[in-house]
Amino acid sequence: MMKNGFLFFIGLLAAFVFGWGGIALGSHLQLGALAPYYDDGEGSTFPARPQGLASRGQLVYADLGCASCHTQQVRRPDFGSDKDRGWGERQSVARDYIHQVRPQLGESRTGPDLANLAGRKAPYDGAELTQFLYTGIVPGTRVLNHPPYKFLFDERKIDGEVSANALALPASLAPAAGRQIVAGERARTLVAYLQSLNTPYEFPEARPVTPAASAKEGAHK
Amino acid sequence: MSSPSTTAEVTAADTAGRWPLLLLLASGLVWLVLSGVLALIASIQLHSPGFLADCESLTHGRVTALAETTFIYGWAANTGLGVALWVLGRLGGAPLRALNWAVVGTLFWNTGLSLGLVGIATGDATSFALLEMPRYVQPLLVAAYVAIGVSGILAWNGRRTDGTFASQWYAVAALILFPWLLIAAQTMLLWSPVRGVLQAVVNGWYVQSAFSLWLAPLALAGAYYVVPKATGRTLPSYDFASLSFWTLLFVGALTGGRHLIGGPVPAWIPTLANASCTMLLFHYAVVALNLRGAFSGGGTALRFISFGLVAYLLGAVLDAVTAFRGVALVTQFTYFATAQQQLALYGGISMFLFGSLYFAVPRLTGRAWASAALVRGHLALAMFGVLLLVVTLAAAGWTQGHDLNHAATSFADIAAHTRPWLLGATAAQASLLLGNLLLLVNFAISVSSVCCSAPAENSFRQPSTMEAHAS
Repeated sequence: MMKNGFLFFIGLLAAFVFGWGGIALGSHLQLGALAPYYDDGEGSTFPARPQGLASRGQLVYADLGCASCHTQQVRRPDFGSDKDRGWGERQSVARDYIHQVRPQLGESRTGPDLANLAGRKAPYDGAELTQFLYTGIVPGTRVLNHPPYKFLFDERKIDGEVSANALALPASLAPAAGRQIVAGERARTLVAYLQSLNTPYEFPEARPVTPAASAKEGAHK
Repeated sequence: MSSPSTTAEVTAADTAGRWPLLLLLASGLVWLVLSGVLALIASIQLHSPGFLADCESLTHGRVTALAETTFIYGWAANTGLGVALWVLGRLGGAPLRALNWAVVGTLFWNTGLSLGLVGIATGDATSFALLEMPRYVQPLLVAAYVAIGVSGILAWNGRRTDGTFASQWYAVAALILFPWLLIAAQTMLLWSPVRGVLQAVVNGWYVQSAFSLWLAPLALAGAYYVVPKATGRTLPSYDFASLSFWTLLFVGALTGGRHLIGGPVPAWIPTLANASCTMLLFHYAVVALNLRGAFSGGGTALRFISFGLVAYLLGAVLDAVTAFRGVALVTQFTYFATAQQQLALYGGISMFLFGSLYFAVPRLTGRAWASAALVRGHLALAMFGVLLLVVTLAAAGWTQGHDLNHAATSFADIAAHTRPWLLGATAAQASLLLGNLLLLVNFAISVSSVCCSAPAENSFRQPSTMEAHAS
């Protein structure tokens, strides 16, 4: 086989098709047609489609490479501390991502998981998130522990009234008198995206397997 | 070095291929230094988030992508192709043909890569690991790669020997398989994206295939050629080499799912990866048996290759161990995974490539390396850098993994606990960058001397003088 060029070529082709067909095509056959889940009781389907602003925000998230430090996949309650950290009551399942143009599962948790950021018990509101993106300082602390994304903001002269999108910064970070820091379009879409990250609906396949649970239909928790 | 049984060190194939191959190798080295600068910036940002934070093009997410892309598609691809073509030319027994295609391909490859990097820096990154370059440069990259590969395939088809060698199999596999991989991956991820989590599955398959079906074969093509040449002995246990080759090609790509343990994907994907990682150890064991002669030989090339061999094997064992759920519970999503990646790519692949480079360049130029001191400096800094980088990142990752599993530990505390290790990793990146600068300078002086002076006659017959001694 190693001497016969044609057989060698066929071998290479087979090796490629084996791996590609097995992993890429195999999983596509299994999940490619995964549909939203229709809940009879609520009369609507889950997951909900993301809003336009949030979809654009996902592109900002992708472009800035946020996934190099943040995952968006909650693991089972009995595997790791994801539930204890408040990242989600249930594990993420494939159905959560079907409407996402560019799912950002990520491979690194230098920062916290964000799959359920808006659904947590103590979520940050939009103003806090916006300010965090600007300062890189987690609300309530004093340490710089995130890159400040100042380039997503504009510094402007206050012309008449203060802009509705202006940041309310502490004195140490505030701009000179008569000037304001205003969130740019990308900062606003990114915050809209982060605030849309929420997986409230419990799909049947997301329930932990326990003998007593009847896994027939999904429900809000 | 005590066994210089090789004669006729510079062959007709070398003289004919000199400039096209040196162009590939030179491109690789320039990208290597650039990727070192970018990796250093990314490393500093991990412990000092404010570093260059106002520079949008160098924000952490982008600079990480830039460093990875330059390293793989700049350094490893150019150098690996240079080595693969050189090996195929020499073993084919005739000067390489269609080298003008290779030159044009090299120029287009590097142009495409440069455009891709500008794309990443200005906001067009795709966010897929190892496929960060925007889709508008991807077809160009495929075409350029094929153009470079033509020479190698012609040399393989027109070979004048009856038998074939392991280094030829690996080189040809890398030349043929990579365009298929890149086409399949960009079709399923960039042109007609699959839905939802399937993107992560396909991305994982591509990342692993790029390693197992492209980078590892490129590196092994060089190592399987240089070790017997430099030691003057045939490879032991050579009968197993073909089985090992096919094991890597068939099983390698299946191991990619180990990064998806516990994720929202079908459970068979990580489970298959777990089993495949263990199966793949057969390939690594045979490579170790085949190339073990590298440890007994002297000379720069063999020192790099023996270091690479240890790292390549250790990387495989760590992959197999961390593919188990119990271990992944700590190491997944941490710097430990980065340490494994660096061990495989820097410790394994790059060290093999360095070894082949140190062996090939004097034979392409017909002259010894310009400075033995620079060679020694590079060897020391590279080995120290890789060791320090892998150890510090692994320690940081282990700490981080345990902290993450302890829900009461805040992220500020985790950052404080890992900070000393991350400072060490930055020192390691600096050491690697400095070492690679020495190599680039030495390469530039050695190659420029070809135009300016006649070759020293004795270097042809004394292989030991061609590879500056490292001891």
